[in-house]
Amino acid sequence: MKYFFKVMLAESWKQHRNYFSNKLIYVSLFLWPFLSFMASYYSYKVFDIEGSVVSYISGGNIMVFLLIGYMGMSFFRSVVQSAWHFSFERQSGTLEYIYLSPASRMAVILGNALSSVFEGSVAMAVFGALIILYNKESLSINVIGLVTVIPIFLCVALLWGAFLNACFLYSRDTDFLFTVLEEPMEIFSGVKVPVSIFPGWARVISCIFPLTYALEALRQVMLNSADISSVKNVVIISLVIILVLLSATLITIHIVEKHMRKTGNVILF
Amino acid sequence: MIEVNGLKKIYEVKRRQNFFCSEKEKIEAVKDISMKLEKGQIVGLLGINGAGKTTTIKMLTTLIEPTAGTYSFDGIDAIAHPDKVKRQINMIAGGERMIYWKLTAYENLWYYGQLYGIENSLLKKRIEELLKIVGLEEKANLPVETFSKGMKQRLQIARGMINDPKYIFLDEPTIGLDAIVTQELHKEIIRLAKEEEKGILLTSHYLSEVEELCDYIYLVNAGELVFEGTKKNLTDYVFSKNRYVFSVKGMDEAIIIKLRDHLRSIDLESEVMHENGNAVITSKAELSANIAEFAVNESLIINELHKLEPSLEQAVIKLSKNIESKGVDIA
Repeated sequence: MKYFFKVMLAESWKQHRNYFSNKLIYVSLFLWPFLSFMASYYSYKVFDIEGSVVSYISGGNIMVFLLIGYMGMSFFRSVVQSAWHFSFERQSGTLEYIYLSPASRMAVILGNALSSVFEGSVAMAVFGALIILYNKESLSINVIGLVTVIPIFLCVALLWGAFLNACFLYSRDTDFLFTVLEEPMEIFSGVKVPVSIFPGWARVISCIFPLTYALEALRQVMLNSADISSVKNVVIISLVIILVLLSATLITIHIVEKHMRKTGNVILF
Repeated sequence: MIEVNGLKKIYEVKRRQNFFCSEKEKIEAVKDISMKLEKGQIVGLLGINGAGKTTTIKMLTTLIEPTAGTYSFDGIDAIAHPDKVKRQINMIAGGERMIYWKLTAYENLWYYGQLYGIENSLLKKRIEELLKIVGLEEKANLPVETFSKGMKQRLQIARGMINDPKYIFLDEPTIGLDAIVTQELHKEIIRLAKEEEKGILLTSHYLSEVEELCDYIYLVNAGELVFEGTKKNLTDYVFSKNRYVFSVKGMDEAIIIKLRDHLRSIDLESEVMHENGNAVITSKAELSANIAEFAVNESLIINELHKLEPSLEQAVIKLSKNIESKGVDIA
């Protein structure tokens, strides 16, 4: 177990040093979500929010609603990006040396996802500060609910990143997953628009993304003062997602290594 | 000792027929390779025409699963226990990839050391030792992207030694390096084998490098072993005749004819050619003494008499030409 954590932390540290050595990365990490957030906020301005069918959205807290959405989105986006970054290890030939070592593949993959937690956490802190700074009176937080939901949110994000990471390793042609997963995640997870007002087909798609449940739980406990019993369904679904993602990641890692050893594609780039 | 028996690899590749259809095709990259590598030995794996040596190395390093055959490291079955084997081996490839350019030399070695679970104080000591051995101790804290090609390659060697492997696989380790750096690396490879008792398997396109470093050679062609032995065995196998260069003061066609007659009385198949003022003699028999005797009897003043030792490069080129033209028996 000590070896597992040693590898995980080393991988996390390496990825951080490797991809976040340039401070400009933080600009793209905040600037793009912030511009997108502003565009969404002013789009809402032209509509009568008070008549919303969603109980916890009002004209007063729409900004907080969106900030929570973008806070979650930034976090999930950073884990998707770190998973995608890991596929560059194939091009640089370093993946071959990782597979040459006896290190746990799960530890390496989790370490890579963990590296994005730091960047995601900074983004979360900035968005969180904005929430408090501009609109704290519209927050209605259930502290116990929040303390319960945040670790679940972090676990879901980490495992989502780890699962995608394992998928990206399957072959050099899996980059399309990044396009398929990143933008639709923003659209269908309820970052800008509550999932409850989506048409049926869009709600089905939204079910695929763990961010959907994470955002719903966060908004309930932060805007609606919802206690654990009120969000228990979302919490249970999130826990199931954690188990499913963990199993799927372990299975995918096994399949990926078997496939690589059979086809020799670990050396193809 | 590494023991390889009947190693085989068949790849299944898809050949696209049209936009919707593709057909599976089987490619036998390695057909039946058996070899041995002892500790302290440097063995060369040479290939002709897409021979399958990279596939062989990747199988031996557990990165590719063989379709058939067995291989073991000090008695440990590598197919059944790849994780045990991974601790005993490492690989060093040529080129500038496979290290993290934004990290420093020290950080690269630290990261790879962590992948092997090396205890921190031991790792620190080992990194310092390795950086000293490869002459990078002064550059330890500089990002790799500021390194020259030779420095990156030296870092690769340190990385390949980080887990103190018993066996090292060197895949074109000096590709693209200048002569001075290459010479330094050769010294280091010899030191690893002779002083540290590492078993080293080397692949290289530079046959002079193989000639300089390797104690034993395996030559593969189209996935099959076509020869194994020492360099001397290979040149003897390919060049079955001895070649001599002989020149005397006043060499002319009359002397050549006399020499030819004299040598044919000893070996009927011997040949004497007049090339650039020298007699070039080929014969299955050992003729040095007979040529010298001829010069003495004819009262000739010898300028030059020596036996031509074919290089490994000449042997491999000749062998590959033989293979292309008629094929050769598997040694």
